[in-house]
Amino acid sequence: MNSRFEVEQDPKNRDTYYLNMGPQHPSTHGVMRIKLHLDGERIISAEPIIGYGHRAHEKMAENRDYIQFLPNPSRVDYLGGMIYNVGYCQAVERAMDIEVPERAEYIRIICNELNRISSHLLWLGTFLMDLGAFTPFLYAFDDREKILDILDRITGSRLTYCYARFGGVILDIDDIFLDNVSNFCTYFVERLKEYEKLVIGNVIFRERTIGVGIFAPDLVQKYAITGPCLRAMGYAHDVRKDEPYGIYDRFDFDVPTQTEGDCFARTLVRMEEMRQCIRIVEQAVSDMPGGLFLAARVPRRIRPPEGDYYFCVESPRGNFGMYIASDGSDIPFRLKLRTPSFSHISTMPAVMAGTMLADAVAILGSIDIVVPEIDR
Amino acid sequence: MIADKLSLLVLDATEVKYDARGFHVQHTASPNILPQIADAFLSENFHLEMITCQDRRENDNAFRLIYQFNQYGTPQRHVIHADIVPDTAAPSIATIFPAADWYEREIFDMYGVTFDGHPDLKRILMEEDYFGHPLLKDFVDPPNPYRSEDGAS
Repeated sequence: MNSRFEVEQDPKNRDTYYLNMGPQHPSTHGVMRIKLHLDGERIISAEPIIGYGHRAHEKMAENRDYIQFLPNPSRVDYLGGMIYNVGYCQAVERAMDIEVPERAEYIRIICNELNRISSHLLWLGTFLMDLGAFTPFLYAFDDREKILDILDRITGSRLTYCYARFGGVILDIDDIFLDNVSNFCTYFVERLKEYEKLVIGNVIFRERTIGVGIFAPDLVQKYAITGPCLRAMGYAHDVRKDEPYGIYDRFDFDVPTQTEGDCFARTLVRMEEMRQCIRIVEQAVSDMPGGLFLAARVPRRIRPPEGDYYFCVESPRGNFGMYIASDGSDIPFRLKLRTPSFSHISTMPAVMAGTMLADAVAILGSIDIVVPEIDR
Repeated sequence: MIADKLSLLVLDATEVKYDARGFHVQHTASPNILPQIADAFLSENFHLEMITCQDRRENDNAFRLIYQFNQYGTPQRHVIHADIVPDTAAPSIATIFPAADWYEREIFDMYGVTFDGHPDLKRILMEEDYFGHPLLKDFVDPPNPYRSEDGAS
């Protein structure tokens, strides 16, 4: 198969043809190719071809010690970098039984949830731009900048955070940060209503998404779908509720669900999730305790006891798991990153078959893939 | 119950401490019964969370395949360890759990382990004409012609 030709004829059937969507297609949000077999505009079959952004994070983990691997997780998913960075630290902390001070736990929760909102905002903007609406993109990026400014002030980075350390976080927060966060919360709750007016009621948007890209119920179990895609199908599954990590069990928040499982339901779930994030952040800000932000006694050498460990967190896209096999040395024997986008994109042959070419764009946008996370 | 179905199949099951390790039960199985194990998990509403592999040729002269099953709601993680001798194929479970399709391709790509009965076993992350299997412990990175001797690019 010569990928240099955009369109080519299938010799057996002159009426159908192949079309490469990607690797540089704007709606793949990264370098990924979907080979579509088309009959007119109807998709007969779709085959995602991945690996263009493979950076061998798992191999890197086997060549450096646990501390040196700290910057990597946020590069795996650059939109939910804080959540991955914190998740990796929590995985190692649990394996080594490192105590984390209360204050650090609360700081982590605030940063995690702000990062989740910024990821959902970017998704909202780009998804709607894929569908042809340019205005929400500008709104979403405007608000996203506000979050990035808040996080930039304490972490020093805007995208690929390396803020968490084993036993806490690297720098303490101050009152200005807390003020900024609570101001943002009051602002954003109002802003969400605007988003809903702008997007949810829009006729073109509804036509493009309602009934499009429905995940068949049997796909859930067979492909291990997680995250907002799963919650849009009626499962109230959220790692933060089902197996609370950190201090998520102390917060009062709901797991939004929808039952239809189409692109529109996934949009509603993510919109409501942003509101729940704000609830968590507000509780964390009001309960913020004093004290240390980094544990005083962290082992100098990070050496988890020999054995296998699995730790999973709720990333903006679903269930992100880290499998760490330790042989008792400084360097992980094996570190496997189980990423949600990898599972979701592998369902595409089943979901896209039989839909229209324009729907493929809507489906890809609505499942919120991050290509570096697929390729790792 | 999954425990009853598995007790007929696997060699041994050890309860592990969930609070420290993140999963509940660890099983050791021989690779040729993997399809039956997958069937048992499918019928009990478990999903395949991931498959991965370890290169244990130095320690045990084997590749260790690690299958992790979980269920929605209250987590109940079962981890299956299946050791295969190098240069032998493991049975594929891609027809039972389609999620395994890509995981098995990834393991083939990264370790060179082959799977019998896989619908389309080919590389997934590396390019099709790539020469090696990067996650092997004895993999040597080829010299980069675009990099100078002192390591500066």
